[in-house]
Amino acid sequence: MDRSKVSAPHPYLAPPVAAPSSELLFGRLGAYWQILGVTDPAQIAALSEQALRRAAELPETPGLDPLAQVLLAAGELLDDWLARALDLPRTAQSLAAARAALLCGRLPDWPKTLFAPPGEAESLLDTLQEAIAEPTPAPLPATMPAQRIELFSLLGPLHRLQRGTSGA
Amino acid sequence: MANSVRPAAIIGHTLRRVTFFSLVTLTTLIALGLLVSVFHTDGISPMELLLLLLYTILFSWICISFWTALMGFFVILFGRDRWAISRQPAGSLDPTAPPPRTAILMPIYNEDSERVFSGLRAIHRSLADTGRLDGFDFFILSDTRDPDVWVEEELRWQDMVRALDGKGRIFYRNRPENTSRKSGNLEDFCTRWGGHYRYMIVLDADSIMKGETLVEMVRLMERHPDVALIQTPPIPVSRESLFARILQFASSIYGRMFTAGLNYWQLGESNYWGHNAIIRIQPFLDHCGLPKLPGREPFGGEILSHDFVEAALLRRAGWEVWLAYDLEGSYEEIPPTLIDYAKRDRRWCQGNLQHLRLALSHGFNALSRLHFAMGVMSYAASPLWLLFLIATGVAAYLQTKQELVYFFGENWIPVWPVSFAVEMTTVLLVTLTMLFLPKLLALLLLLKDRKLLRDYGGLIGATASVILETLFSVLTAPVLMLFQTKFVLAILMRRAVGWPPQQRGDHMTSFKEAALAHGGHTLIGIVTGVLSYWYVPAFFWWFTPVLAGLILSIPVSMLSSSIALGRRARQLDLFLTPEETDPPAVLRYLEENLQDDEPVLPVLRETPHSRFVQALTDPYVNALHLSLLPERESPGKRRRHYLEGLIHQLEEEGPDSLSAAQKRDLIADPDTLRQLHALFWSRPPAHAGALP
Repeated sequence: MDRSKVSAPHPYLAPPVAAPSSELLFGRLGAYWQILGVTDPAQIAALSEQALRRAAELPETPGLDPLAQVLLAAGELLDDWLARALDLPRTAQSLAAARAALLCGRLPDWPKTLFAPPGEAESLLDTLQEAIAEPTPAPLPATMPAQRIELFSLLGPLHRLQRGTSGA
Repeated sequence: MANSVRPAAIIGHTLRRVTFFSLVTLTTLIALGLLVSVFHTDGISPMELLLLLLYTILFSWICISFWTALMGFFVILFGRDRWAISRQPAGSLDPTAPPPRTAILMPIYNEDSERVFSGLRAIHRSLADTGRLDGFDFFILSDTRDPDVWVEEELRWQDMVRALDGKGRIFYRNRPENTSRKSGNLEDFCTRWGGHYRYMIVLDADSIMKGETLVEMVRLMERHPDVALIQTPPIPVSRESLFARILQFASSIYGRMFTAGLNYWQLGESNYWGHNAIIRIQPFLDHCGLPKLPGREPFGGEILSHDFVEAALLRRAGWEVWLAYDLEGSYEEIPPTLIDYAKRDRRWCQGNLQHLRLALSHGFNALSRLHFAMGVMSYAASPLWLLFLIATGVAAYLQTKQELVYFFGENWIPVWPVSFAVEMTTVLLVTLTMLFLPKLLALLLLLKDRKLLRDYGGLIGATASVILETLFSVLTAPVLMLFQTKFVLAILMRRAVGWPPQQRGDHMTSFKEAALAHGGHTLIGIVTGVLSYWYVPAFFWWFTPVLAGLILSIPVSMLSSSIALGRRARQLDLFLTPEETDPPAVLRYLEENLQDDEPVLPVLRETPHSRFVQALTDPYVNALHLSLLPERESPGKRRRHYLEGLIHQLEEEGPDSLSAAQKRDLIADPDTLRQLHALFWSRPPAHAGALP
């Protein structure tokens, strides 16, 4: 069989770009910031610059191309700000919950808060805090021991008698 | 735990049970006596012995049902039951105890999320109408495995919280592993958060309960500190197909009599039906941890029908379990077609058969054993009926082969064969009376209450509905008998009966589906009909109701699944129920939620191709899903390799190449989820539409 004649199907995701141009980097980052709700081009540019700087500092994640690495850094940038602004523990759960609260639609002007001087966006931060989901109450552990069920057996009464005498 | 039932109550309770079981035993003995008198003239053959044995078991089963209905008839006729839980004086209350908190639990597993949350919102609104919402929290306890449904549930939960300002009162969690299925799901709740609450009200995915009923359940529990569980009788509602409407009518009109009758003799030793019940959490924690039964399935392993066992364990520990037959406002939905009904039976059958072992276990109360036995009989009755019919046919055939001898020895005076027509007719009439009299009694009870009679379609409508329902149940009974026999045999032989999951929503049965499900029934009907007509013609005519049910099973199954026929019947005042005629507010809320509800979350207003892909691409859905994943250790090397392999497969071949379990594995791992989100944004899919 002539293998050269076998055409590979198109992959589902576009092929990775080993060395993306800055145009491509800024283009994808811009699209991402926009979907997150940042519409001001100046803010997009500033955030993208920061994301690029942060990506350079991040250790390389296996399986991620440089562009994905930068997008990951953009997300972390947002998490950093949320953790500082809301004084959150840096766990994956709480950061994701804050990010979901930010993006849930209750704070359409959230970029203003991000770029506001410290102390000037308290009410918006309160709204954000309020929007953080609480999926479960705090745990209050209890035990539920498995019960003994003595299934029927012809020798059951004898076993019980034996247990009774040994217990006595 | 000390049982503090008063002496008068003990005497009253005992008297009721003695009366009930005496009537059951006496009736069975009389019918058996008549049959023995027929058989014993020329000695009892092994075939006749088998018939007697089967008849005794089946007739006593009918007797329990009949006398339960009759007791219920009198309870409703006289309008009160002095020993009902709702009428008993309050026990000693601790005035220093804080007001109770109650968790409303809805365990779900791959259900229709829109329906689940519409139902919960209806219950929430109904509860808010009572002004007692503060005493209740809601928990959606998901065991869902399907990744699309899982993500949908999370969004619907957030939408509900936002719409109802329910932060800190409406909770959601999805278990990483669905160990021990529903009982494990509830156990997980109890051991993690049960300590916050005094009671839990367990619902099913299609349960609906009035707010007033929920409040009343808590009030009853507060008044009776010796009671661990109160079961309410759920009434089937909201379906429109003809099949479901007939069943809704039957459950509504006859069910109230049966539940009143059950309470009459079960009293504080009642049963748990798995949902629409309130449970005191501490005794449940202390006594209802379920063990694994020794041995292999079907009788060993995990306890499947956990509800009966939990009730029995509570009783064993001295707690009372009640059926609040007079508590209205408890609803459920039923399968819309005959085939879906059978599919549900398949799921329940194995769990109930497992109770055979438990009925004989050491330490359970006598009535708990009876509940187990009744659970077993609700499925074992079908193969026994089938065996009885076959044995009767064979006996009738053998009868035709006997040559009658009129002259013995040199005696010239003929000895005429003795006729037992009177005895046999009496046995048949008694059996038929026991089966059909409760239907007539239920109809008579309507005459007592004009409004109720009107709600059931008036005297003509209700009477016509009872007659048609009776005919329909005669037609479908043999089909269900064969279905259940097949399930029982398959379970006993450890064979899977391959059927897709039951569809809960109304839908028509296609010819193909009906032919596949009932082709065998039709064939059995035709072959049996021909054989009996040919070899035992006298038997054939007795057998026609069974044969008609089998031969007509395909058209009956298809026609009864029709929503148009269900609606037409409603226009003709047929199979009406009070919940249809004058729906309570909570059912109206459900309907409104399903029809007009506009989600608060914009993402829910879209209908994406796949919620799974949305969890990878949409930053909000991705973040929400990530925030709901439980904290877990990083996966080991082997798991990491497995996940990387799936990521590559997704990159190359797209989401449709992955199984539901593989998709779940991908979105259950936080690192993978973050990584895929970045991948999808850095390398958007070649096919447009995957990214928002």
